[in-house]
Amino acid sequence: MRTSLIKGGLAAVAALMLVAPAVAGSDTKVALVPGGPHPYFGAWEQAGKDAMKDFGLAAGDYRVPQKWELAQQSQLLESLLTQGYNSFLIFPGDAVGTNAVVQEIVDNKGMAIATAGCLKDPTPALFCMGTDTGNSAYLGTKQLIKAMGGKGRIAHFTGFLVDPNTQLRIDAVKKAADETNGAVTVVQVIADIDAPQPAEEKINAYLAAHANDVDGIVTTAWVPAVTAANSLRKIGDKRIKMVGIDHDEVVLKAIKDGFVNGTMLQNPYGQGYIGSYVLNKLRSGCKLKEDAPWKSNALTKKFVDSGTVFVDAGQVDTYVDAMRGITKTILANFEKDYMTCS
Amino acid sequence: MDKRFGMQLLDNDWAGPALISLAAILVISALQPSFLTPFNILVLLSAIAVNMVIALGQLVIVGVGQMNLALGSLGGLVGVCFVGAIEVLGVPTPLAVLMGLSIGVLAGMANGYVIARTGISAFIITLASLQIFKGINLGITKAQPFYGVPDVVKQFGNTAVIGPIPWLIAPMLIAALGLWYLFRRLRIGRYILSMGGNRQAAELSGIDTVGTVIWAHAISGLLAAAAGMMLVARLQIGQPTIGDDWLISSFAAPVIGGAALSGGHVSVAGTFFGVVIIAIITQALVLFSIDPFVVQIVLGSLILWAVGINRFREWRFAKMATAGA
Amino acid sequence: MSSVVTEPLTENTGTGEQERLPVLLRLLLSNEFGLLALIVVAAAIFATALPGFTSPFSLFTLSRQIGIDTMIGLAMMAVIVSGGLDLSVGAIGASSAMAFGYFAERLGLPLAAAIPFTLALGALLGGINGAVVVRSGVHSFIITLASMSIFFGVMIYLTKAQAFNGLPADVTAFGRMKVLGSVSALLVVTLAVCGGLTVLYRLTRLGREILAAGANPRAAELSGVPVGRTVIICHMLTGALAALAGLMLTARTGAAVPSMAGHLGQDWLLPAFLAPVLGGTLLTGGRVSVIGTLLGATFVTVITSGLLLMRVSEFWVQAFLGFMLLAAVLIDRARHTILKARGMV
Repeated sequence: MRTSLIKGGLAAVAALMLVAPAVAGSDTKVALVPGGPHPYFGAWEQAGKDAMKDFGLAAGDYRVPQKWELAQQSQLLESLLTQGYNSFLIFPGDAVGTNAVVQEIVDNKGMAIATAGCLKDPTPALFCMGTDTGNSAYLGTKQLIKAMGGKGRIAHFTGFLVDPNTQLRIDAVKKAADETNGAVTVVQVIADIDAPQPAEEKINAYLAAHANDVDGIVTTAWVPAVTAANSLRKIGDKRIKMVGIDHDEVVLKAIKDGFVNGTMLQNPYGQGYIGSYVLNKLRSGCKLKEDAPWKSNALTKKFVDSGTVFVDAGQVDTYVDAMRGITKTILANFEKDYMTCS
Repeated sequence: MDKRFGMQLLDNDWAGPALISLAAILVISALQPSFLTPFNILVLLSAIAVNMVIALGQLVIVGVGQMNLALGSLGGLVGVCFVGAIEVLGVPTPLAVLMGLSIGVLAGMANGYVIARTGISAFIITLASLQIFKGINLGITKAQPFYGVPDVVKQFGNTAVIGPIPWLIAPMLIAALGLWYLFRRLRIGRYILSMGGNRQAAELSGIDTVGTVIWAHAISGLLAAAAGMMLVARLQIGQPTIGDDWLISSFAAPVIGGAALSGGHVSVAGTFFGVVIIAIITQALVLFSIDPFVVQIVLGSLILWAVGINRFREWRFAKMATAGA
Repeated sequence: MSSVVTEPLTENTGTGEQERLPVLLRLLLSNEFGLLALIVVAAAIFATALPGFTSPFSLFTLSRQIGIDTMIGLAMMAVIVSGGLDLSVGAIGASSAMAFGYFAERLGLPLAAAIPFTLALGALLGGINGAVVVRSGVHSFIITLASMSIFFGVMIYLTKAQAFNGLPADVTAFGRMKVLGSVSALLVVTLAVCGGLTVLYRLTRLGREILAAGANPRAAELSGVPVGRTVIICHMLTGALAALAGLMLTARTGAAVPSMAGHLGQDWLLPAFLAPVLGGTLLTGGRVSVIGTLLGATFVTVITSGLLLMRVSEFWVQAFLGFMLLAAVLIDRARHTILKARGMV
């Protein structure tokens, strides 16, 4: 998984060298900080390193709080600020709570972009860049409904309750189901299982009890996607349709073997890479346009979509290219669409 | 304590929990027939297998009159070292298993040694070692799991020997029978219980208290290591957070099974049924779509109830003893 | 020094007369002074090696962290002194803070009402612990092991693990408030509480009763101390202080988050024990050092911050804290042994 991501990343880098200006020795120190340990953010590490190299940043460091706990992340951010980092890509530990420490960053002449998860307005963060998770969940559910033949019962497994995206996803899946006017219903939502132990317990227990009461599974978080794919394989079930999320090897293999119908990809590498690029530009004299084509979601009015793509058995082997293409497009147009540079 | 009373206590320890387990199974399967499907039984037995080994790890320490807070973090550390050795160092699987168990034993011995030699309470020492093991775990893994679990291990953790009986039951049976034999027949088992029952008397009667404590903690470490590796097999990844939630359940099962927290009295069979009760309740909550957070409330209440019953029995036996004297 | 010992620090001479050690020597040998020296040394090293260490922002965050960690330590100290312990401090702290979130955000109560209610809830939960311990005669370890699970479970059940992040702006503002340039307002609160506790243990009858009950419950009972009631009061104090710590943490993070003390509140166990133990409060009860707890928390925070600034991986810092606890108890034990051998304890 990592090697293919790195390959894709490096290829993207090569393609983007044309677009990225070579700024020698800038004083931008970027810190990429997730809300806690999680495989999704693995790509941020490479993205930060590549951005540092390509844009001549003083630092492009990926630092992880020890656990998914708001005070830990705040403490880490404060320590990074004291260490001299001035540009932050942050996945909020809490959509509102993290605003407090971002304010401290801004008060100390730093800047921050909410990444992969948004902070709630009003926020001192510059803007939010991430997957439109609501839209992604909506599209994924629609694909699931299509695979189910337009009718049936869906179970939805999703992520941490503290993740600002979770509620967006729950609402989106429900919306997609509601649009079938009763043909498809969401019979169960299990949240807060984006970690191996609770995911394994709850998903296995659920399937053990209710496998016959459900026709489709949609997972909108990485770990439940992996666990559900494993469980369906374990009980040898191909009747239950499933749409997963992200690009874990287990999920991709399950798609190829027919246990899972497809997955919604996000763009973690692109988020880290583009975010670092933008922060560096902003520190070098560019400004954000107020009237840029910002999107809106439930949390904020300044949202930039980092892209999502549905991948099924036919496209599994080339998924890296799909995401690479999206990253290239966003980067090529960003300055034109969102910034004024003197 | 009179041996006769001891035998009576042992007999009473598991009867209650066994009855409750049976009742629970009957009620739940009546309300929810899918409870008795082979897959569900497999899931249930897998949970019981792992939790029993964890409970035994705590039981032996409770027996010697102490408490081991580092059980979970040692299990987690061994789990990641196990997978890490295979994935990063290329160690062959059987050797890695041995290595994992050795780490458990050595860490346990270290705990036991410090506790016995310094006389500082086991609570504080194991609180410190909890942090140390957890810290080493996180330092090695950076909170990211090791994915390179070999297929044979994954199979071991997720398939059945026959019918709905998972392979994981095998190490559990070895551990349970081993510990039962230890407490019943082996000298070290008697020493452990003597120390737990009355430390001064044990010392005066010439028992090597330092050695006994080290033995107890070594066994505890071994079991923690085994449980950690069993969980890795079941989860199919080397997850650093393994062990974070072992604290309550490691005490709850022995207490429900009749162990006295002051030490000196344990029941392997009672602990087993304690584990069964907890596993059934946990599963039932998910089956009936009851808020899973209720588990914590139930576990805590079970502990209180079990402690209450134990105290009552102690009080009753004390009365009988003085009445008979 | 606010440490209160039940035996005088004397040296027994052959003639039967007892000489008190010179006050200065007693001071220098004390736990608290050792800690103070270590803090000064560590801070000096970090200040010279790391340019950012003494920046106003760094000092502010340091002072804030010290305030919070000390409060957690004080909460545990309040119950250790009575000879027991309370594993549920984290659960009580988190539950009380979530209740505060409910009072302030959902019910819209003014802070002047929400805060006292929260502290009262903490005291109530602690009181439940204390009452069960006293009535059942079972060791507080197992009672609070059960109650940590119950309190936390009920809290999670009631809140559905959702955070309260719509708290009144004053709450976050207080968390960011500075006094005298770069000292956090939270530290000021803690210092005030330290002062109050010092008065309690040194000057009030209740304080003396607590110490007596902790040192030797049977003797205390015989000399008229209502041991049972005293133990319950200690647990209530622990609960209230835990609730206060939860409030401070909420002010700092800007939201009332159910996971603020970890799973079942376990994450508070280490700081809760580390600070008092480093500071000289004995686990056996009967001896307390409020200043010691403050210094202990300060030492831990300074070291942790310094290590993090030195780019030591935040993951290894945890192991380091474990070693520190171990070292603290071993050194304390060694010191006691040496002093005892010399007849000085």
